[in-house]
Amino acid sequence: MTQPNVLEAKNLMRSFGGGTGFFDRNKPVIHAINGVSFEIAEGETLGLVGESGSGKSTIGRAVLQLEKPDSGSVKFRGTELTTLSPPQLKPYRKHMQMIFQDPYSALNPRMKVGNFVAEPLVVHQVESGSALTDRVAELFQTVGLDPSFMSRYPHEFSGGQRQRINIARAIALNPAFIVADEPITALDVSIQAQIVNLFQDLQDQLGLAYLFIAHDLSMVRYLCSRVAVMLRGRIVELAPTEQIFADPRHPYTQSLLAAIPVPDPDRKHRPRIPFNVARNIPPRDAPMIEVSPGHYVLDQEIQ
Amino acid sequence: MKNLIKDLMRSKAGLIGAILLLLIVFVAVFAPFLDLPDPTRGDLRARLAGPTWDGLFSPGAHPLGTDEVGRDILSRMIHGSRVTLLVATTAVVLGGIVGTALGIWAGYKGGLVDRVLMRLVDIQLAIPLMLLALLVVAALGPSLRNVVLVLALTSWIRYARIIRAQVLSLREREFVQSAHAIGASTMRIMFFHILPNVLTPALVVGTLELARIIIMDSALSFLGLGVQPPTPSWGRMLADGRVYISSAWWTVTFPGLAIVLTVLSVNLFGDWLRDYFDPKTRNKK
Repeated sequence: MTQPNVLEAKNLMRSFGGGTGFFDRNKPVIHAINGVSFEIAEGETLGLVGESGSGKSTIGRAVLQLEKPDSGSVKFRGTELTTLSPPQLKPYRKHMQMIFQDPYSALNPRMKVGNFVAEPLVVHQVESGSALTDRVAELFQTVGLDPSFMSRYPHEFSGGQRQRINIARAIALNPAFIVADEPITALDVSIQAQIVNLFQDLQDQLGLAYLFIAHDLSMVRYLCSRVAVMLRGRIVELAPTEQIFADPRHPYTQSLLAAIPVPDPDRKHRPRIPFNVARNIPPRDAPMIEVSPGHYVLDQEIQ
Repeated sequence: MKNLIKDLMRSKAGLIGAILLLLIVFVAVFAPFLDLPDPTRGDLRARLAGPTWDGLFSPGAHPLGTDEVGRDILSRMIHGSRVTLLVATTAVVLGGIVGTALGIWAGYKGGLVDRVLMRLVDIQLAIPLMLLALLVVAALGPSLRNVVLVLALTSWIRYARIIRAQVLSLREREFVQSAHAIGASTMRIMFFHILPNVLTPALVVGTLELARIIIMDSALSFLGLGVQPPTPSWGRMLADGRVYISSAWWTVTFPGLAIVLTVLSVNLFGDWLRDYFDPKTRNKK
């Protein structure tokens, strides 16, 4: 990678529960993310995969400061974000956006979609009046929607269209970096490909960097230049995409890759690789080791 | 809007409530243009006259009889409805605005704000509302303004509770997170993203509150702490007439009927409205 990093996360921690209040004193502490570090170069796509509850979404939210991490550092183009107050953060929010998983819950049902897409421009006072309308129309065209849809309400749109509206809103401010939190999981398979292609087109046009959270490994392979595999709040393996598919080192990664469905009847009896998550919780202090250039694995009884 | 009317046509109870309510409001609004006797002028020669249809359209007729000082009961009832509806709607709107605003604030902010406000609601709920209303009116003195204030005071907690619960779930919705992610201010999120999504439940609470407040307003008047005479009010008519209940039944029956019918129509309409906006009961019929 010759490109500079747009985002660097170092040793992020975030736990839930274990309250100090009178009523929740005895709740167990859950470490949603437990010492996670990675960086994303300008214009790059980093895939983040792992099972439900492994902390993928928490990372996305912590990176954007939607949820303050307990400790650790997040740097956007070299600026530390975790110590900034909300007003200090506002200018940085222009450059970092998020696209959500559920296109049905991501749109305000009582707001016209045109106003919804325009909102970031209004909040940051970038455009107003007819220039604003023109910009929103342009955004609608960029994501493949008819600008005449602007005055409609969300319930008139399909899942794929809604996700396009969300994308239009996310790119309105020409951000440098977008967290896409399982943006295609809730869509029909036929629509998924369209949206993934839209993601790629936008990356080419606007030079966006993505943190692409997913659990569909074939989509990740198609879209991402590097992949990080998460297990129980830790990254257990991080490598360039082809490297990880060709030579997975961590047993969890091997198990995940073996579970990808292959549309070939002759291979229907290929072996699964079982992995017992409960017995293989990544130790808290295990270091990442570099097994080949750019290929990191959590140091945990590697075969 | 079209769906709303269509659904209303299909619901018998809702339709009856709506028609009755419209009729009551219409009569109340246009009372000054109806050719009614002065509701405050008595005629001692015609005191406690019974209801009669004789000479219905002649100037001195009292179709629903007269009270103990000879005032026309029909006229007093209609003019009383103006006061009652004015007091009740103002109180509902006032309580609704305050309760909704505080509910949104508590639900969205959470933490200390939420805890303080909700304990305040709990405390107020522990005191019988009528007692609270009596206390405040007795302290401030009975007047139209004070009655409205007191009724709004007993009303805001219901909005606050229900709206807060709605906001707690709305707050976690992704469009609110997304507004946060683009850097929208808390005020902006509460006003553009939360408020429009709680207006429907607020409206439903409002109609049901309207019925409760009409009863409470009448009760206050009955106890002499409502709008003061000579302004006619339903509760006052009941209070004045109850001495004659055995000899002149019409003095209490008609104002009582007015209260019952108004509250019934508001409740029927409110129930339908709640069902209409609740996706679980909608389309079931």
